[in-house]
Amino acid sequence: MTTTTPPPDAPEAPTNRPPSMHRVRDWAKRPYARSIMILTVIIGFLLLPLCWLILAAMNQSGAPASPIMEDIETTVFVFTLVSIPITAFVFAVLVYSLLGWKHVSGDEVPADESPAIRSNTIGVVLWTVVSSVLAMFLVVWGLMELASITANSYGTVSADEQPGGDQALIVNVTGQQWVWTFEYPQHGGLTSDVLYLPKDRAVYFNVTSKDVIHNFWAVELGVKIDANPGAITQTGVTPNKLGTFNVRCAELCGLHHAYMQTRIQVLEKDAFDSWARESGAGRAT
Amino acid sequence: MTTDVTASAPTGASAIVFGAEVAQPPQHGKPGGIMRHLNFGTGLLTGIVMAAVAGWVTAALTPTSASNATFAPDEPEYVYLAVLIGWVIGFMLGMGAFVGPIRWLLGRDITHADAEYMAGKDLGVRRYFKFTTDHKVVGIQYLVVVMVILGFGGILAMLIRTELGVTWAEVFSPTFYNSIIGTHGIAMIIGMIVVMSGPVGNFIVPMMIGARDMAFPRLNALSLWLLVAAVVCLVSSMFVGGIQDGWSVYYPLAAQAPPGMLGYQLTIIVFAVSTAIASVNLMTTILTMRAKGMTWSRTPILVYGTFAASLMGLYAFPFFQYSQILGLTDRIWNTVFFNPVEGGSVWLYENLFWLLGHPEVYVILIPSMAVALEIMPVFLRRPLFSFNFAVAGIVGVVALSGLVWAHHMYMTGWAPAVNYPFMLSTEMISIPVGFLVLVAIGTFWRSTVWTRLPLMAIYAVVFNKMIGGVTGVYLSDVPADQYFHGSMFVVAHFHYMLMGAGLFGAMGGIAFFFPKMTGRILDERLGSIGLWTAFAGFQITFGSMFVAGLQGQPRRVLQFDDMFNISNWISTIGAYVIGLGMLIFLAAIVHSWRSGEIASSNPWGSKSLEWQTPTPVPLENFAVLPVVTERPYNYGVPDPYEAEMDKKDGDLTTVGQVGPR
Repeated sequence: MTTTTPPPDAPEAPTNRPPSMHRVRDWAKRPYARSIMILTVIIGFLLLPLCWLILAAMNQSGAPASPIMEDIETTVFVFTLVSIPITAFVFAVLVYSLLGWKHVSGDEVPADESPAIRSNTIGVVLWTVVSSVLAMFLVVWGLMELASITANSYGTVSADEQPGGDQALIVNVTGQQWVWTFEYPQHGGLTSDVLYLPKDRAVYFNVTSKDVIHNFWAVELGVKIDANPGAITQTGVTPNKLGTFNVRCAELCGLHHAYMQTRIQVLEKDAFDSWARESGAGRAT
Repeated sequence: MTTDVTASAPTGASAIVFGAEVAQPPQHGKPGGIMRHLNFGTGLLTGIVMAAVAGWVTAALTPTSASNATFAPDEPEYVYLAVLIGWVIGFMLGMGAFVGPIRWLLGRDITHADAEYMAGKDLGVRRYFKFTTDHKVVGIQYLVVVMVILGFGGILAMLIRTELGVTWAEVFSPTFYNSIIGTHGIAMIIGMIVVMSGPVGNFIVPMMIGARDMAFPRLNALSLWLLVAAVVCLVSSMFVGGIQDGWSVYYPLAAQAPPGMLGYQLTIIVFAVSTAIASVNLMTTILTMRAKGMTWSRTPILVYGTFAASLMGLYAFPFFQYSQILGLTDRIWNTVFFNPVEGGSVWLYENLFWLLGHPEVYVILIPSMAVALEIMPVFLRRPLFSFNFAVAGIVGVVALSGLVWAHHMYMTGWAPAVNYPFMLSTEMISIPVGFLVLVAIGTFWRSTVWTRLPLMAIYAVVFNKMIGGVTGVYLSDVPADQYFHGSMFVVAHFHYMLMGAGLFGAMGGIAFFFPKMTGRILDERLGSIGLWTAFAGFQITFGSMFVAGLQGQPRRVLQFDDMFNISNWISTIGAYVIGLGMLIFLAAIVHSWRSGEIASSNPWGSKSLEWQTPTPVPLENFAVLPVVTERPYNYGVPDPYEAEMDKKDGDLTTVGQVGPR
């Protein structure tokens, strides 16, 4: 095919070429395109309640009880919301392909073949851009939330090196088959098998294990870290809700892994202090 | 050299191979030699005898004081290890795996008649029970072995769900329960790794690229029978305490395990060899034996998928093997690689394990996705949408698959700083996986749907893949993973990926290639009932398991708080429905295989090379090697909308119009 090039300084020759977007507009007018768009919106709205249902399931036992858990739940909510449009679109295409476009059944190889579309630049570019932007958004969101959670759990700096570390409660968490032990070094080495925590006060956990790998999961507080033998892992949290919560072991640790759970009791500061005094039998500092 | 051989050979020592006269080395005895006497029966016999002898000798030689010393494992450990090693070597010996090397050591080259005997020529059904080199026989053998493995894992799954559904009592002892979760896990992983690459990779791929066999036919048989030997090791471990530490067998828990752990370690060591051999074989075949004219842009997508899976397997499995070898020496010789108390590292194990663990899920997924993309053009009667994107998706997944393993270790406290880069790489992998989804929906776009079973399975795959993919995004994100790690949510997620996308894709693939592999059509009605029953049960089971995970139920537990009861009951009911569906699908396979409708050589009207062979496929597949002259999936008619558009644009009066669209 020959093409002619106009002289560079000549005015553009008159043309009856339709506007450049006409193909897109024309496409949007096709019956199936409309239907799929409508289906996408319908399925999207049907999926939308999931954002809250997921949180409802997570909150069943009292979560969120800390800023960390709030961050986690926000993340889950946002991720659900962001995934809905793309999921709805894919489901809409599946549904429309089953119900909207033509069908053939039977043993014979169908005589009428489908349009041979080997690619579609607009579609491909759009998909790539949208999915990359979504992925980038998820990464950026995740990094921000991770930074926030790391700050809320006092990072990886050990408790005694933290600024204002004396303000914080230190709890040495020890896992062993199949119990958790919580030691309060600031209260004369008081130990307990129920995790008592004061509300609105920072808590540092030094987590370790006596035998195999356990995973210290304070469910409603959104704290989770492995308890490794021969190593101390550190994390932290500030509980902001009174109540009884759960510690579960989230790493298979042998025979009675299922029973390796205990309670968390978040108390008011005074109640916590009096508990520590009574249990510590005067050894409190 | 050639003249030498001809000169020294007895008279008439040449064979006509595809019309060419080829000089032959001397023939020793009847064609096949000792292979004539070796089969699965002799393999079993030799294996059992060698296992018994090895066990007895070890028991006799182990000083009794060794069991008393604190630093050495108990005597049963040595005996069991010796039994396993004896079994593997004896079985392979009895199958005839060592005949080739021994022949070669004796300076006896293989003749054409020998090779034909080993390929199973004129052996009838017996060739399925021998060390047969024909890729089609190996493919069928793989199919049967895989169905046995998946059936075994499936029964264990039913036991697990029974225990979890009966919330008011312990059905099994914790010991037995822990051993079934571990064995279920590793059996299913092994089964899913070979479910497509085994039967389809061996039977179909060589035909698809227009080759007469695999590049290394004897290695092909070796990889299959090593798998069989490995699986026997795995099952045997159930009788000596089982694998009680989950399929990931983290240390130091695994160090406490009963001797069953040796069964796991031996299984993995042998299976890794089998996988490496199979991978090298497939990759060499694909790289070097494609038909004339089959350039990369004319190579079907399934070939890319199998190649990618082989490549990832070749990279990933050595890590698994090292980790288990180190674990074995820890156990037997008291090395302390993974013993933190004496200076070892549990994080070292976790790293080695997940360096396998994450590429491995793509080893499972990619072939299933590739089979899906292979099926779609045939039943939708059109080319694959954006072939290049499909290839780009596979390449992207392969490239990233090795860089994401530590997302399994976000919560281990190993190195919190690396959570940032691993979160980035993990979320990036959703882009190439998204390409594959785009190719799928692009191919569905405006297609006439030929509603046959293989295609209908792909709807299930894309649906499950979306759910698995989206939930995977939560898990790739460190903050969300801080809640979901180690919970039932993870279990539900990877079942959506490995079973929902992987196994349903494999079911579609088996239904699709069934006519070529068995000569009969898979019963459409029975197969569909099975597929959709399993699909419905699958949604119930794992949908409900997501809820249990969100509520905060840890995985691998046998009892739990009352708040998880309802979701677990529903899950268990769903699991039985899956079991029923799978049984129906199995019945469809067995029934159709025995007495199904006879298939024509190309019942789907496919243009791909493997369907151009007669059914049953003759030995050596093609009498004359094919030449490929066009791109794959050349189906379809010109787009009517496109014509309409061109008509509208047709009277453009002037410049700027570039070439034909």
